[in-house]
Amino acid sequence: MTTIFYLEPELVLAHGRKVLFLNPNDLQIFKEIELPTDLTTCGLKPVAASEATEEQPATKSEVSILNVSYSPDRQLIALTTTGQKALLLYKSRPEHAKLLSIRPLARASSALRFAPDSSSLLVTDKTGDCYQFDCSADVEAPPKLLLGHLSIVYDILWTPDQQHIISCDRDDKIRVTNYPASYDIHSYCLGHKEFVSGLALLGEQQLQHLVSVSGDKTLRIWNYATGEELLLKELPAPAVRLQLRELVPGQRYEAAVLFYDHSAAIGLYELQLNAADAANPSWSVTREQLIEAAAGSWHIGNFALCGQRIYVLGSLNDNLSLRAYSSQDGAEDATLPEGWLQMVDEQFAGEGQCVPEDLSVWFKKRYDNVSDYMERKKRRIEDTNKAK
Amino acid sequence: MVTNSQEREREALPSTSAVTGLPQKRYYRQRAHSNPIADHSFDYPARPQDVDWRALYPNIGSEQQVEFADIGCGYGGFLVTLGEMFPQKLSIGMEIRVKVSDYVVDRIAALRLKSNETSGYQNIACIRTNAMKYLPNYFKKGQLEKMFFLYPDPHFKRAKHKWRIINQALLSEYAYVLRSGGLVYTMTDVEDLHKWIVSHMTQHPLYERLSETEANEDPITPKLYQSSEEGAKVVRNKGDHFLAIFRRL
Repeated sequence: MTTIFYLEPELVLAHGRKVLFLNPNDLQIFKEIELPTDLTTCGLKPVAASEATEEQPATKSEVSILNVSYSPDRQLIALTTTGQKALLLYKSRPEHAKLLSIRPLARASSALRFAPDSSSLLVTDKTGDCYQFDCSADVEAPPKLLLGHLSIVYDILWTPDQQHIISCDRDDKIRVTNYPASYDIHSYCLGHKEFVSGLALLGEQQLQHLVSVSGDKTLRIWNYATGEELLLKELPAPAVRLQLRELVPGQRYEAAVLFYDHSAAIGLYELQLNAADAANPSWSVTREQLIEAAAGSWHIGNFALCGQRIYVLGSLNDNLSLRAYSSQDGAEDATLPEGWLQMVDEQFAGEGQCVPEDLSVWFKKRYDNVSDYMERKKRRIEDTNKAK
Repeated sequence: MVTNSQEREREALPSTSAVTGLPQKRYYRQRAHSNPIADHSFDYPARPQDVDWRALYPNIGSEQQVEFADIGCGYGGFLVTLGEMFPQKLSIGMEIRVKVSDYVVDRIAALRLKSNETSGYQNIACIRTNAMKYLPNYFKKGQLEKMFFLYPDPHFKRAKHKWRIINQALLSEYAYVLRSGGLVYTMTDVEDLHKWIVSHMTQHPLYERLSETEANEDPITPKLYQSSEEGAKVVRNKGDHFLAIFRRL
């Protein structure tokens, strides 16, 4: 999975063992992080043998970055790796990315999220476990298991007041759990019929509204406290990623959705709040835009919104490829600084292949283990009747 | 639909024993172990309000809801006893194995037909589903009054501990569907599993264990030993029974 996101003024890109913090408007590289091929050299102690369900990770395994995140206060950068599975924490200011700690992970991460007060972060994995890592008092502290789903957790977030944690999984569920009493489930938002791949909060905090996207080709808005569904928007294809940005605080948002296997790569949906009836706030979709981004001719893995530009990151013939499009009409963006894309290509040239992730496994394999049995049973009953 | 279940009841008859009028187990044998984490071909509801309860309980009252759940009900022995003990309550059996759940469905259909005059056994039903994943799909928050985990699969190998029906993560989900003051009954003949269950449930902040006196005062307790097929087998083989009842705080 290649990482890309925009956090003003930096465009962050990660692939292989390198993270780049770029200026989207010129050729300036703000900072970069490059991991060694063997993380034990920066202090990684592998998970104790009794804990590991597999063998010790071979040091030959290629270290590859999975998730990258900034803390809300911008002081910290966290990243997770696979190959040698670890969580690395860096101080981002005033130094340029100074390594604070490196802690082993039992399994590769599926999602990463800092707490609103930047004091801790959550790491989820493919078995559905959600761990909390301290990032302030003790950056070396081992994680605490907060809660567990029974299948891979694709996204997780905190509410701003840190009273709840919301997580979504492959079993169609969105779960709202109390915090810090994370053994106590507050509610579920049920209705999706396939994996839920992205979550985001929208509206003022007291509304308690949430938007989600799913492999069932819908975008839905919920009151997460009651579990009530407020809006269902049909999408042209299954959704595998969601990014939300605020256009008018508390009122209007833009939801960008990455599609799976569709003629358009990304869909943009403007969500507008109707607060005319204060007791029953509702949402509607006021604008839609499809961004084709030459879908089908290359493999698209991720994207980032930056002003009027959408950066789309993917691979062509197993090589990393970055392109930019206008979010107004989907046309190729011609405003990129001269030589910028080449610079990015060169920077990542040494980071190895960019093999597309196979997302077909996200979908549940539905197979019929009932019909055969029922057929045989029916025949057995008929044969018994004939024999009589 | 009433006609559908009546038809099912009549269809069930031919594979039944001429002597007892009930379905014969030998046609429904299936191995004991099943992988609860793998995908299965289940039709499960997206939400509790989508469930057609009338299809399971033809005489269900408009305000009635299921309150007792036998998780991993096997061949239904205990479920039938539960239905007889609590005629005013709706009990449901959940079973992941195809043939076994089908047996229970046929068994209930046959029992209902046999007791047509008294309209008995209208208060029990069985669904084929994965209780580890889909309880919140079927039950609203705090809906259940009692949950039963009788002779669950111990999944002995360490790597399979996450498959055990009682684990830390799942206890929070069970606490969600169970009302405050509701009870969880656990019974096993595997001492290690019993210790695992007691340890996990005691550690979980939302449960407290009933004292031995309280447990023995519960009229259901004696039925736990005998009514399920597994329990009867344990008694025959002179095995041990380990009981633990917990209250959801």
